[in-house]
Amino acid sequence: MIRIEQLNKTYRVDGREVSALTDVNLEIGKGEVFGIIGRSGAGKSTLLRSLNLLERPTSGRVLIDGEDITRFDSRRLHALRQRIGMIFQHFNLLNAKTVAGNIDWPLKCTGSLDAAQRAERVAELLALVGLTEHANKYPTQLSGGQKQRVGIARALANRPQLLLCDEATSALDPETTQSILRLLLDINRQFGLTIVLITHEMQVIRTLCDRVAVIDGGRIVESGKVVDVFLHPRHAVTRGMVAQSDPLTAAMLDPGHAFAKDKLRGTLVRLTYLGDVTYQPILSHLAAATPARFTILQGEVSSIKDLPFGQLLLEFEGSEDDISKVFAELDRFEIHHEVLQ
Amino acid sequence: MIDLSMIEWGDIAFATWETLVMTGVSLLFTILLGLPLGILLFVTASGQLLEQRGLYRVLSFIVNVLRSVPFLILLIVMIPVTVLLIGTSLGVEGAIPPLVVGTSPLFARLVENVLREVDRGVIEACQAMGIPTHRIIFGALLPEAMPGLIAATTVTAITLMSYAAMSGVIGGGGLGDLAIRFGYQRFQTEVMVITVALLVLLVQFIQLAGDRLVLRFSRK
Ligand SMILES: Nc1ncnc2c1ncn2[C@@H]1O[C@H](COP(=O)(O)OP(=O)(O)OP(=O)(O)O)[C@@H](O)[C@H]1O
Ligand SMILES: [Mg+2]
Repeated sequence: MIRIEQLNKTYRVDGREVSALTDVNLEIGKGEVFGIIGRSGAGKSTLLRSLNLLERPTSGRVLIDGEDITRFDSRRLHALRQRIGMIFQHFNLLNAKTVAGNIDWPLKCTGSLDAAQRAERVAELLALVGLTEHANKYPTQLSGGQKQRVGIARALANRPQLLLCDEATSALDPETTQSILRLLLDINRQFGLTIVLITHEMQVIRTLCDRVAVIDGGRIVESGKVVDVFLHPRHAVTRGMVAQSDPLTAAMLDPGHAFAKDKLRGTLVRLTYLGDVTYQPILSHLAAATPARFTILQGEVSSIKDLPFGQLLLEFEGSEDDISKVFAELDRFEIHHEVLQ
Repeated sequence: MIDLSMIEWGDIAFATWETLVMTGVSLLFTILLGLPLGILLFVTASGQLLEQRGLYRVLSFIVNVLRSVPFLILLIVMIPVTVLLIGTSLGVEGAIPPLVVGTSPLFARLVENVLREVDRGVIEACQAMGIPTHRIIFGALLPEAMPGLIAATTVTAITLMSYAAMSGVIGGGGLGDLAIRFGYQRFQTEVMVITVALLVLLVQFIQLAGDRLVLRFSRK
């Protein structure tokens, strides 16, 4: 659905060129929830805003459904933007219009529905985001979470195929964040809407995204399925992000800090696994199948989106032969293992 | 000390009416001229919706020039133009053209500043929705700026009222004219006191009404 090719963006600041994006290449599929994560100033907003040309790239192409939108004239660009919804960190609602008025506004400007049809559509959207009884309030009378729901309803008004979210939950408390993320996930599933979101919180990525790209200094430094990136972060920035949202994973990635070295006798191994195997009695199987003894030092069994996963930090004791038997068993279950020391 | 018995109340009522007409009519034309000018200044400024640096510089320069001419000088300079426009430079009608020329640039600047205060994010959200620029301006920008625009109108109306009084110097009508002819030239202090008191009252009233309206349109 979206293809970004060799995208570059430089800003001129006081006559000097500042590079915000460098050689960005990405592909985002239809119906996918794609996350872009990075630290402040990494270039997330610039990248997201290139997708509806709120920011014009200096070079490179942005293909949506096979068409290079950077070549669109203003009429086609308006038509394109009407098919792309966008929500913002600070909601950006019109304070002079009611909740219903805000949702009606893009419908009115498109002009494809008459007044009665518009009223019907507004009612439908209000119900979708759960704000029916607030239709006639003004934005300043709403809480942050309610404002973002209005933002979402407004973004969906013209039935877009793509929704762009610029730090949509960063101004909200954790509980409200969860409810907004659930709403976005519902919308993604119900309408097959493609969602591209940017955030600096790994938690948002874990809850919502199928795939993620990590951006740092204007470059994509790592990308892939969320579980893979989360369980096996390679780049320092990604590791930092994981560590911040999930100290347990961080400790398992770098156990040297977490455990007293002199107490460890055997081989330290980190196991990671996904899907059905999570429900298998792996440890009791290992104990029965090999003479190696093990100690559980740390572990987590959870799920990312709907995918169950586990990660365990084990210390194995036994002969070299015993250990290789353990690894052979793990391979048979398709359990990823890495020796840490 | 002050003897009110010799005051012609009819004259005062008529002069008050004239002042109100001068202020009201001038305000109307000031808005008709200054509002579009202010919007144009805002949208053509650098980084705005219809950035046109050249046009902005020209408009901005004209506005600055007009604003730097003291009103009393403008009154005199405008006399031939006013005669050309409406046939006389005297009375209520004669005062209106210089009043409009004197306050339109002020109002335009105020409008520009008010529009700049509108949250950029809101405008950006409209652009992201694919809404054409003219609809963003009239459907989103101006309604969002309404409280500020009303406040700017209030300031302008009060300025107009004091300028209207000043136009009495060159033979414009209204309370200013009365104050100069009776209060100043014939030493009738009472007339002076009463006209000033009336002007104070009118200004208070305009400010109060303006504040009320601002409150009504604020959704904060
Ligand atoms: N209009 C601009 N003019 C000049 N430089 C800009 C402009 N917009 C962004 N930049 C620069 O480009 C870089 C990327 O900015 P961007 O807003 O995309 O970062 P971000 O990842 O969204 O950060 P944050 O999390 O703080 O929103 C930054 O170094 C920023 O200073
Ligand atoms: Mg940003």
